Order: sequence, then structure tokens, then C-alpha cells
Amino acid sequence: MKSKLLVAAMAAIAGVWAAQASAAATALTVWHAYRGLEKEAFEKVVATYNRKMAGKGVEVTTLAVPYDAYADKITAAVPRGKGPDVFIFAQDRLGGWVEGGKTVEPISFYLDDATRGQFLPTMLDAMTYRGTVYGLPLNYKSITLIYNTKLVKTPPATSGELVKLARSLTDAPVGKFGLVYAYNDYYYHAALQNAFGGRAFDPGPKPTLNAPENIAAMDLLLRWANTDRILPAEPSSALVTSLFNEGKAAMVFSGPWFLGEIAAGVDYALAPLPTIDEAGGKPMRPWLTIEGVYVSQSSAHKDHAYELARYLASEEAGVVLTVEGRQLHANKAVYAHKEVADDPVLAAFRKQLDNATPMPNFAEMTVMWSPATTAMNTIVRGAATPKVALDKAQASVEKDIAALRKGR
Amino acid sequence: MTPRSLLAQPVALGLVLGALAAALLSEWFFMQARDELLADRQQRAVVMQAMALGDQVAAAEAGEASEAGVDRLAGVVQHWSQRFADIASIRIVRSADATLLASTDANDAGPFPRRLAREEKALYDLGQTLRANAETNAAEGVFRKKQLDVVRLDRTRLRVAAPYTVDGEVRGFAQVQQGVPAAPIRPDLGRAALVIGLPVVVFALAMMAWRRRGARAPPAVELGLAAVLLAGALYGQSTAGLRELADRHQAYAAELAQTYNAIRQAFDATASLTGAVAGGDNRWDVDEYLRPLGVIGGDGSLQRAALDATLDIRENHLRRSLWSAAVLGAGLLAFIGLGYGRRLRQTLVEHRIAYGYVTPAIAGMLVLVFFPFVYGVTLSFTDTTLFNENLSLRELWIGLKNYAVILGDFHVVRGTDGDWVVNYQNFYWTLFITVMWTVCNVAIGVSVGLVLALALNTKGLRFSNVYRVLLILPWAIPNYITALTWRGMFHKQYGVINQMIQIFGGEPVSWFDTAFTSFLTGIVTNGWLSFPFMMVITLGGLQSIPQSAYEAAYVEGATRWQQFRHITLPYLKPTLIPAIIISVVWTFNMFNIIYLVSGGEPAGSNEILITQAYKIAFEKYQYGYAAAYSVVIFMLLLVYGVFQNRVTRATEAIA
Amino acid sequence: MSAAENRTHVMLHLALGAFTLFAIYPILWVLTLAFSGGQSLVVVDLPADPGALDRLRSVLPWPKTLSLQNFVDVLTQEPFARWLFNSAIVAGLTTLLGVFLACTAAYAFSRFRFPGRRTGMMMFLVSQMFPGTLMMVPLFIIIVKWLHLGNTYAGLVIVYAVTAIPFCVWMLKGYFDTIPVEIEESAIMDGATPATIFFRIILPLAKPAVAVTALFSFMTGWNEFILASIFMDEETAYTAPVGLRFFVGGFSSQWGYFAAGSIIVSLPVVALFYYLQKYLISGLTAGGVKG
Repeated sequence: MKSKLLVAAMAAIAGVWAAQASAAATALTVWHAYRGLEKEAFEKVVATYNRKMAGKGVEVTTLAVPYDAYADKITAAVPRGKGPDVFIFAQDRLGGWVEGGKTVEPISFYLDDATRGQFLPTMLDAMTYRGTVYGLPLNYKSITLIYNTKLVKTPPATSGELVKLARSLTDAPVGKFGLVYAYNDYYYHAALQNAFGGRAFDPGPKPTLNAPENIAAMDLLLRWANTDRILPAEPSSALVTSLFNEGKAAMVFSGPWFLGEIAAGVDYALAPLPTIDEAGGKPMRPWLTIEGVYVSQSSAHKDHAYELARYLASEEAGVVLTVEGRQLHANKAVYAHKEVADDPVLAAFRKQLDNATPMPNFAEMTVMWSPATTAMNTIVRGAATPKVALDKAQASVEKDIAALRKGR
Repeated sequence: MTPRSLLAQPVALGLVLGALAAALLSEWFFMQARDELLADRQQRAVVMQAMALGDQVAAAEAGEASEAGVDRLAGVVQHWSQRFADIASIRIVRSADATLLASTDANDAGPFPRRLAREEKALYDLGQTLRANAETNAAEGVFRKKQLDVVRLDRTRLRVAAPYTVDGEVRGFAQVQQGVPAAPIRPDLGRAALVIGLPVVVFALAMMAWRRRGARAPPAVELGLAAVLLAGALYGQSTAGLRELADRHQAYAAELAQTYNAIRQAFDATASLTGAVAGGDNRWDVDEYLRPLGVIGGDGSLQRAALDATLDIRENHLRRSLWSAAVLGAGLLAFIGLGYGRRLRQTLVEHRIAYGYVTPAIAGMLVLVFFPFVYGVTLSFTDTTLFNENLSLRELWIGLKNYAVILGDFHVVRGTDGDWVVNYQNFYWTLFITVMWTVCNVAIGVSVGLVLALALNTKGLRFSNVYRVLLILPWAIPNYITALTWRGMFHKQYGVINQMIQIFGGEPVSWFDTAFTSFLTGIVTNGWLSFPFMMVITLGGLQSIPQSAYEAAYVEGATRWQQFRHITLPYLKPTLIPAIIISVVWTFNMFNIIYLVSGGEPAGSNEILITQAYKIAFEKYQYGYAAAYSVVIFMLLLVYGVFQNRVTRATEAIA
Repeated sequence: MSAAENRTHVMLHLALGAFTLFAIYPILWVLTLAFSGGQSLVVVDLPADPGALDRLRSVLPWPKTLSLQNFVDVLTQEPFARWLFNSAIVAGLTTLLGVFLACTAAYAFSRFRFPGRRTGMMMFLVSQMFPGTLMMVPLFIIIVKWLHLGNTYAGLVIVYAVTAIPFCVWMLKGYFDTIPVEIEESAIMDGATPATIFFRIILPLAKPAVAVTALFSFMTGWNEFILASIFMDEETAYTAPVGLRFFVGGFSSQWGYFAAGSIIVSLPVVALFYYLQKYLISGLTAGGVKG
């Protein structure tokens, strides 16, 4: 009898123990690369979620990883069964992770129509690879026109106005330029290219760096740089920041990240990128970088992980991330909130979104950056015509892509 | 002659161990080959089942009364699993709308059709993957994504999902799970014992015969005899094993043809339910990319030529493995037979103190360097990319092709009509730049470091500690920020270097526009970064020079230069030479500076080998090719290291 | 001090002063950025028609406004002190382990003649030859997957120490070679044990080389960034270089913070060198022991 009681007591203790273990069992980890305001807002959202889920035994911890090591860390850890349950990354790596395998969990199956419908246009496209959705879009970034209000009263709406204004504000020997942006970076140049109807891949996954529209866009850039002379030489992003802060750049094309670098005392405002007269009045269409929240394929709690992702992509989380984290959330309901709608910066980027297109999420995009940069530097330096340089880049890209897409 | 005395003979011991290793390894390879054959037979049978079912489903879905057709699928599945006793379960999934159309799996609750439950997400994802893979292959015009899903659950159970296509689009799949109890495959130990025993016994008899005649066989004869015996035994073993493989291959093909006929009958028997029509040829016996293998014809006949071709592939693969076993055996025989084994043991005992001192460091090196090295070298023999990482090593193996591509491309300059352009992507151009880069940097680092150290070592020089601390700063500050500062200083318009040039009346330079000036930026930055290291080493090395040497020189009236030439330099050599060798290796692989300062501009003309390898791996995702690049870098440095070591040793001998 | 010596010293001071200026010039720009309180790299600012004097002013590194804000932000916004502490532990242990392993191995290479000696020396050199680009994944597999040392100091220390050993072994071996064997032989005559000889005689004599290798090992552990970010899974476990990289983002970078952080990170290295340099100061007086 005594021993039976003992066994029962042991069982009860074991039961409590097991229950506690299972309560703590759904510990989720989420990785991100935020710092500053973004990080604070993100951690606040996660804390709110933890409070909500306290009864269900879900506990989320966050880990910030420096951006330079972030992709490597995911690529090293996740396919080997280590790493987080959920992670946040822009769409540019998505294709590579799907092709490489064992990294991102497909979530099409979980997606209901309500969730699908909650996002701004094109957001979910960036999270879709070969017809399958792999992540929930969290926020977007795109470049837009940022100008120094001391120097520019009315922002230009067309390329004609832009050039005219920029020329009047340029004084090259003193180092003052009307327009400054990292134009030899393909990411920034894409806005101009897309205005002409150019593209990096078409049709489907076929690379088309030397499409006639891409060449036309390059011709225009060349005119801005060498004929109109409204652009400085060797424009790195660090230089763009410095010139804008020194009042030596009247207008820049840059994104939300730039705003945090503007020095105190420099007054600025935002406007949509101008339309391009040379492209028949079509607007510049910058590439969108869309951050998604992904469920890791090595997660032991995929259902819980997806619920966390859904919360992060929800309106409630979106408002905090947008208002306090200064991100542009992908949930369209966020923009109906007064604090968001009344904010000139957020409104400006929301407006630019109407003329923007997601950057391709093919892994092959990574192959393209370096040849594109080389081509653009060669063109701007005057060492080759746009056609010659882009044909060469195209040939190099085709060769590298063929090496990747090798049949068996 | 007792076994004990036999084994005391190196050649005999070598023969025993060599035969043991080679024979057992060969048997293991045979076992693997048999296992593969068996697995292949099962896989093809199940694939045919799944493909045939897929055709039925497609017909049922495409038929006019498609809903009714879907209802009749249950009948097809029923018929199928009754006819084939080895089928454990069948599932038909229409993943396009996440519907489970039919299932005989005991765990799947009916009635069918029904929507997939949340726990059944994997089935939905599988359907989507098969669809995406088919679309990818079609869009890119290659067969790179597997269009069948084959999962081996354990040794006996196999699960295959084959997609079905309606209106040119993959809509779902038929999944068949089969379990055939297979007898466990064991190595033929009897044969192995024979292969080991026979040569050993013959060898022992021959030795005894010799001994009876009162003589000892010459060592060369002993070794030759042992080698011949070993080779003969292994040849016999491999012939038997290969014949066995061919027989099995033939038998399995015949069995598969029967399976095909049975499937064909089942298909025809159920065709009335779905309206499916079997074609004249065999479209079910396919590889994982849905390409017909062509071994079994539409009428169930075996196609001799195709069958032989598949056997050839298997035989060649096995033969290669057997060769490696034979080489291992011969190696062991030679190693022990020639007495190296004994000498190795003696050496280890004799120098145990020295080895004891060295072991901890060597062990650390082995753990952390050996595996990555083997990993890298293996990778370099494959065409692994981001896209095919998960394929097996055998599928990816391409031998020396990467090396041939890297080293065999001599088109350093190309051009038309006398207008020559350097191809900056070419290996030899990059190698040239790398060598220039290394030579310049090490020369600058060493000479500046040496001069500074000598200056700072001047007796009684005041503030020398201040100089020392200031001069170490370039090394102490993280080079990410200093490299970036240098990059900014080289800016055409906003950089201070061009301003200084203009102060002295010069013209501003576009540093990153020409290969030469761009190269200079790297040299200046890296020289600036690397001299403190050399300075510190030299300062350390200077302490080894005894005061008495200089005093003696002073007495003899030697000049400063003579003192430097005949005292300082020789004494510095032991510390300076290793430092130089090692900094050559580091500079050769100095990634950061090129990457951060010039970025290889203009047009990649200033890439060095390591930045090129990085770009190939992380921008082009060609991991195998990048690994080959790295191994080439390694080999170049190895040649340098050996050469330098020789030269240094020679000078040591003179001094 | 003779007149000639005096003249030499003046010349030396001139040359050394000029070179030191060149050496610290870029660092002055880093300092300018760090103390500017802003985030943008300094660019040359010139009037419309610049004279030589304007240009001269533009190349002088001096911030327009002096501010400690960047330093304050770096130390308060992030757990930077904690990261420095982690770095100190990792780099300290790396130094101890690396120098110890290197000393024993180098001593054997210098003093014993045994088969495989040259091969062994060569192996250390060879280990530096395989480019690190492809090492990341295999190292992750060894340290995190096999040895389960992810998120520990030990994992990092092992990797760093092994990275530092080859140079240390070569350097120390070269230095040990210059110490005459007679010293040991006479010690053996006096009845000293091998351990006594190694710790009491050889190591003290090799102080300058040990100092150099210690500095090198420390730097190896102190500045590494990518493996530390990949192995560590808690923000409180990061090392200082990892924390520093938070200021470099995908799109934007806070160069002011980065510069301030870099200066903070380099201070311990300078301090360590300041301490170690007494072993590098003219040892000619100590030369009496040798030769």
C-alpha cells in the first residue's frame, strides 16, 4: 500500500515535471538584423506577443545578428538543424535558400484568403518563389526623392525639371551637385531602367541585362553624368550621406535607411521619384526590398512559428513597427491609422510604392550585381558604350547562370 | 615454420595485413553494389506503379465527368492494392486544391475526397514541389530538378510519389509505398577468407621450401612473390564479384519486365473506370527526371543495348572502387614489407619526448585544419553549386574538370584587328596581379618595418616608446574602418590625396579608373597596415643579438653598414625569414583590403586570386569551382613554401 | 653623448616624426569622424576658387564640431562593455592557449632532431595556405555540430588559438634557435630537469619573442568577427568586433559610431602593446647572458 502511494506521488511529481517541461517546450527563437529604433520596436512587439501567449506556454526570444554575418549565419546553421524557428530577411536571398534547400519552410498551405488579402499590392509576390509562398511580408523599402528644403523649394516632377533644377544647383569645382545618388549601383539604377520598361529577367528566369530598354536607360544616365554634369564622380553611399549633410547635395535618391543618417539641422523633405520624359513620361519605378518573416525548416514548432510570423505581419504589430520602428509595414491596414497617415515621411514612401516593383528574388540576381556594376562603371568612365558594356555583362551573366542551372 | 615466426617477417606480415584490408574492403564494395542493385530494382518497380497510377488519375481528372471519374479512383486504388500484395499503401493527392482524393493508408481517415488536414501539410508541400520542379525544368530547358519524389524509409520500405499532369500542369501526385522484406545482405566472408588465406599459405609454403634448402630468399624475391600472390588473389576475387553483379543485373531486369507486365495488366483492367489509355511504349520505367530508361519495351521485352549500357556504368563504378582497394592492399604490403612499419614504431618510441612536446599543437591543427581541408579538396572535384548541394557526391563528381577549366584557359588577351584587350577574368592575369601584389606588399612591409625597428632600437633615443606606440596604431585599429578611410582619401574629387597633389601643383588623379593606379591604392593601404607587424617582429628579433658581437666589431673598426650586414642581418634571419614566409602566405590570401578599397576596379583588373575565389563562391554560387580555385591557391603557396624552405636551408648550411 | 651621436638623433627624430605623421594621418581622420558627433565620413570642403592655403586647411583632419556623442551612444545604446569583457576573455584565453602550445612545439622543433621535424614545421605553414573562404561551413560543423561548443567561449578560443599557432611556432622556433645550446648543456651539468630548463632558462631568455607571439595571438582573438557572429547565439555572448559590425547595415552605416567603437576596441591592444614593449626595448644590456 505504502509503495503504491509512493508510486502515485512519484507519478504526480513526474506529471508536474512533464507538464512544466512541455509548457517551456515551445520556446521560439527569432533572428533579425535590426538595431536602434527598429530593434526596440521589434522587441516591444515580441514582448507583447509573449504576454498574449503566456497562457499557452509559448515564449519567444530574439537575437540580433550583424547584417554582414547574417546571411552566412543562416546558411551555416539552419540547414544543419541549428538556428532559429523564425527569421527575418529581405527577399533577395529567398530564391537561393529555396534552391539550396533545408532552409525556409513553404507556408502556402497555412495561408488563408484573409491573410493573403491583408498585404499591400506586390508584397506577397516577393515572398513567392516558383509558385509557392515561403514567407509573410513584413515591410518594404524603396528609394524615393529626398531633397534639401533650403536648396529646393518645389521638387521636380519630371526628368526635364529635374535636370534643369539640378543644373542650376550644381557647382562642380566647389563640390556641389544638384543630384547625388549611387548611380553606379545597379540597385539604385534600376529605378531608371524600370521607367523605360527595362528588366533584369524576362521572360521568367531568363536574364536580360542588355534589353534595348536597359540600354536606353543607361544612355540617359550617361547624359546626366557626362553631358548635363549634374552627378559627382565615384558616388559611394557613404559619399552621398556626407554630401547631403554638408549641403553639397540638393537632391538624393535614397531610401528610409538614409533618413537616420541625415545630420541634425539639415532640413529635408520627400517626394516621389520624377517621371522620365525620355521614356514617354513614365515614372521611375525603383526596386522594392521586401523583408519577410520566414519559418525555419529546422524548427521543431512550425505551427507556433507560423503563428508568430502571422502576428508580426498583423495590423497590431505593424502599427508599432511603423510608428516606433520607422519601418514601412506590409500590412495595408496600418496605413489607415492616423499616426501613420499623417506622417509625411511614411506617406511619401507609401506613395512611392504605387510606382515600384519588387526586386527579383531569384538566386541568380546575386550573380548579376558584379557584372552590372562593372558594366556601369565602364560606361560612366566612357570606356565602352552602353550597348557594348551591357552585351558583355549579359554574356558573363549567361555563362554563370548556365553553370548554376546545369541539367543532370 | 610457425605462424609466429612467419608473422615476424615483415613481408609476410605485410601480405597478411594487405590481403586482409583489400579483401575485406572489396567484399564491402560488392555488398554495396548488391545493395544498390536491390534498391534500384525496388525503386523502379515502385516508380512504375506510381507512374501508372498517375496516368489513371490524370485520365480520371481530365475526363468529361471529372467528379465521377474522381469517385471511381477509389475503385482503381482498391483494385491496385489487391492485385499487388507488396504495396503497403497508395495515396492520391490533388495538391492544387489540397485535396486527398483517395488513400489506402490506415492512418488517413476517410471519407475521400476530403481536404488535407493541418498535420498533412507535408503532402501539400510535396505536390507543390513536384509542380515547381516540373515548371522549373520546362522554363530553363534543362533537367536539374528531380520530378519524382523517392524516399527510402528504411532498408525494406520505399515511398515514391509521381506527379500527374492535366492540361500541361502538374495538379497532384500518386504516392505508392511498398515494403518488400529483403534478406539482409552479408559480405561473402568465405570468399574473403579464401582471398586472404590462399596467398598467405602459398607464401608460407614457398618460404618453408626455401628454408628447407637451407637458404633465405632474397628480400626482393620475397616481396615480388607476395605482390604477385596478392594481385592474383584480388584478381580472382574481383572477377567473381563482377560476374555475380552481371548475373544479378540480368536477373533483376527480367523480374522488372515481369513487374511491368503485371502493372500493364492492372492498368488495362482498371482503364475502363477512368478512361485511361496506355500508350504503345513504356512511359512508366523512368529515371527521377521522368526520362524513360528504355530498358523495358512497351510489350515487356528487354532491350539488350540499353540493358548493357546500364550494366557498364555499374561495372565501371565498381571496378574503380576495387582498384582503390587493391592499391590500399599493395600499399600496406609495400609499407610493412619494406620495413617502414617497424621503423615507424621504433622512431615513435625513440623520440617520444619530442613528439610529446609537439603533439598538443599538432592535434589542434589536425582537428581544425584537416577536416576543412579534406572538405575543400573533395568539393573541388565536384561541380557543386548552390542549386545542387543536396545531390550525392557521386552525382556531383566531375574529377579534375574544374582544374582543367581554371588552368587550361590561356586566353589572357583577346581582341580583334590588333585591338587587344586583357581578359581580366582569366586565371593567369589574376595570378600575375596576385604575385605583384604579394611581392610589393611584403617588400614594403619588411623594409619599412626593418628600418623603423633599427631606428627605434638606437641606444639612448628619447621618446622611442612614444614612437613605438604611435606606429603600432595602424595594426591596432580594426582595418575595416581604416580601409574605408583610405578609400575615401583616394576619392577623385573629395579625397585628401588629390588635394595634396593639387597643393603641390599636380593634377587630380582618378585612382580607381586605371589598373595601375588602382593597384597602387591597394599597395599603399596594405603597406600601411602591415609594416607595424614587421616592425614588432624585428624589434623582438633584435633582442637576440648579443652586445658582445657589436663590441667586437667596434674594436675591429667595422663601419655601420658592415655591422648591419655581418651582425644584425644574420642574427635577425632566424626570426625574420619565418615571418617573411608567413607574411607572403597571408598577403597572397589578403582578402579585406582589395575588397574594401578598390573592389577590384576597374573591371575586375585588380582582383587577386582569393577575392576571385570569394566571388565565385558567394556571388556566383559555384562552390565546387571556387574550391578548385582555393586548392590551386594552396598548391601555388605550397610550391613556394617548399622552394623557400630549400633556399633557406641552403643558406643556413653556408652560414 | 657625443656631438655626432646628437646629430644622428636629431636626424632620426626628424625622419621618425615625419613617418609617424604619415602613419597616423588616416587614423586622425578616423578620430575626426569619431569626435564629430555625426555619422558621415568627412569630405573635402573647398571655396569657389581654392588657394593652396584652402587646400591645406581641407586636408587637416579636424572636426567642425567636437562632440563625445558617438562614444556615449556606442557605450550606452548597446551592451558594449559586456562585449568588450567577452572579447577580453576570449582573446586572453587564446593568448594563453596559443602561446603555451606554440612554445612547447617550437621548443621541440628547435632543440630536438627527430624524423618528421621538417614535415611538422611545414605542416604548420601549410595550414595557413588554404584560403579561409571555404572554411566557415566546415568549422561550423566541427565546433557546433560535432564538438557542441556553439555559443561558448571555448569554441572560439580553440579556433583562434589554432589559427594563431602556426605563426607563433615559426617565430618562437626561430628565436629559440638563436639561444645557444651551451646554456642548456651547462644547466644539465648542474642537474636541472628538462622542465626547469624550459621554464626557468629558455622561456625567460625568449621573452621578446614570447611577447611578440602573445601580442599576435591576442590580436587574432580580439579582432575576429565572422566566426564569432556565427558561433554565438546570444547577444550577451557576442564579442566586441561583432558588436562593432552592428553599425554597418545592409543599406546604411553609422560610420561615426563605427569609428568611435573602433577606437574603443583598439585601446586595449595599444595598452597591451605598451605593457609588452618593455620586452622589446633594447635588450643589448641583457645580451651578457648570451653568447
